[in-house]
Amino acid sequence: MRYGMVIDLKRCFGCYGCQVSCKAEHATPPGVFFARVVKRESGTYPNVRKVFLPMLCMHCETPPCEAVCPTGATFKRPDGIVDIDREICVGCRYCMQACPYEARYFHDRTRYYFGVQGPTEYEAAGYGRHPTGVVMKCNFCAHRLEQGALPSCVVTCPTNARTFGDLDDPESAVSRLIKERGGEPLHPELGTGPSVYYLPA
Amino acid sequence: MGVFTRPYDTLLEDLQETARPQREWVEGRGLLLIAGHFLSGVGAGGWVFASAYGDRPGEVASVVVLALSGLAHLLFLGHPERFWRMVRVRTSWVGRGFLGLNVLLASAIAYLALTLAAGAADTVAARALWGLSLAGAALVMIYKGNVYAVCRAIPFWNSSLLPILYVAYALRGGVALLLLFLPWRGAGVDQRLLELLELWIGLSAGVCILFYLTIMASASVGARRSVEDLLRGRAAAAFYGGVVVFGLAIPLAVGLWNAVTPVSLGLLAAVGAASLVGDFYVKYAIAKAGRYLPHVPMAR
Repeated sequence: MRYGMVIDLKRCFGCYGCQVSCKAEHATPPGVFFARVVKRESGTYPNVRKVFLPMLCMHCETPPCEAVCPTGATFKRPDGIVDIDREICVGCRYCMQACPYEARYFHDRTRYYFGVQGPTEYEAAGYGRHPTGVVMKCNFCAHRLEQGALPSCVVTCPTNARTFGDLDDPESAVSRLIKERGGEPLHPELGTGPSVYYLPA
Repeated sequence: MGVFTRPYDTLLEDLQETARPQREWVEGRGLLLIAGHFLSGVGAGGWVFASAYGDRPGEVASVVVLALSGLAHLLFLGHPERFWRMVRVRTSWVGRGFLGLNVLLASAIAYLALTLAAGAADTVAARALWGLSLAGAALVMIYKGNVYAVCRAIPFWNSSLLPILYVAYALRGGVALLLLFLPWRGAGVDQRLLELLELWIGLSAGVCILFYLTIMASASVGARRSVEDLLRGRAAAAFYGGVVVFGLAIPLAVGLWNAVTPVSLGLLAAVGAASLVGDFYVKYAIAKAGRYLPHVPMAR
C-alpha cells in the first residue's frame, strides 16, 4: 500500500477550491497552506497562457525532510504518508530547507485572520490542534482516510482534477492514469520519488 | 515580539515568486542560527589553534565562544527544551553537529580543568581528552557546510564547495580570535606566524568564494538567481560590506603591509575583529541569498 495522488493539469482551472477546503479541514493558521495553487504566466503576448500548478506535500518515497530531521519527528508511515510527530519536533526547520516542494510551514506563534479582534469561533475551536514552535504540513488527510473518506482537496475539486488511490496497485485509478496519460512527478531529477503525479495540460 | 515575527504579507508575496527566498534561517530568530554557526566555527577553529599553541587565554575564550554558540542554537529552536532529542546522527547533519559540539565542549572543559587545576598537561588522560576535543572540533567545522550542502531544495547551497568554504572560514575565525586577544596577552604566541596563517587562510577563503560564485553563476536557474541576489540584490550589502571589505580587503591589506613593515598588536587585533565580521557575513550572505528550487518543469 502506498497512497498517491494524480492531478490532471488539463482539468485544473485555478479555482483555489482545494486550497480553501484544506484550510477549512485542518483549520490552518494564516500563512499556512498545506494545499495551494501556484499561478504562473508563460509565453509572450499575444501567445500567453496561464499555468495552474496545485502543490502539496509530495509524500516522497525517499523524503529528504525525513533524512535531515535530527530528532526523527518526521517519519514515513507504512502506507507511504510522510507525517510529523509534533511532540518530538524541536523546531529547527531543517526539513523546510530540505523539501524541494516548499510543502512545510513553521508555526511560530498563534495568529488569527482578524488580528486584534481575536479568534473567531471557528479559529478558537480549530487552532487547538496546532501547537506552536513546530513544523506542520499536509498528511493526505490521514484522519479522513482512517474513516474511509478521501482527502478534503480531492472531494472538493469541482473538475475532478484530483484522483487519489494506491500507487502499488496496478489496477487502481491513479496507476492507470499515470500509465495511460503519462503522469510525471515534480522534479523527478532529485530522486525523491514523489507520490503526487501530474498529468500534462 | 517585534523582530522575532515574520510579516504574513511577506510570506504571501514569497509564495508568488518563481524562486522563493528562504527566510527561516536568516531573518528574525533565524539570525540566532547564523550567530550560532558563526560562533561554533570560530570557537572550534580557535580551540584547534589555541590548544596546539598551548595558549590558555585562547583556549578559555574558545570554550566561552562555543558555549555561546550552543546557547544561540538553543534559542533559535521552536522548542529548546527538547534539544536532547537531536541525536539522530545517522542521516542528519544537524544531529552530527549537535554531537560534535557536545563532544568538543565536554572534552575541552575536562581538558582545561585537568591541565589548569591539576597541572597535568602531559598525562595520558589529558592527551586523550585533547584528541577527543580535536575530533569534536573537526566535526563542528565540517557539519555546518554540509547542513547547507545537502539541501537540494536550495540550489545555491547544494554544492560540495560549501563545506570546504565553511571549514576554511572556521579555521580563519580561530586565528582571528587569537589575534583579537593579542594586545592583552603579549608574549606567548608567535604573532608573525598567526598573521601569516591569517593571510594564507584569508587568501584561500577568497579563492574559495570566487570559485563558488563562478560555479554557481553558471549552474541552475535558482542558483543564478541567488548569485544575482548576492552581487546586486537583497544580499549585496552584506556581501560587499561584510564579506569583501571587512572579511577580505582589510585583512589582506594589513597582512601584506605587515609582511613589509611589522604592524602594532592593536592593528593585528583590529584585523582579527575585521576577519570575524567577515566570517559572520559570509554565513549571513550565503543564507540570505538562498532561494528554493523553482518549479520550472511545470511552467512549460
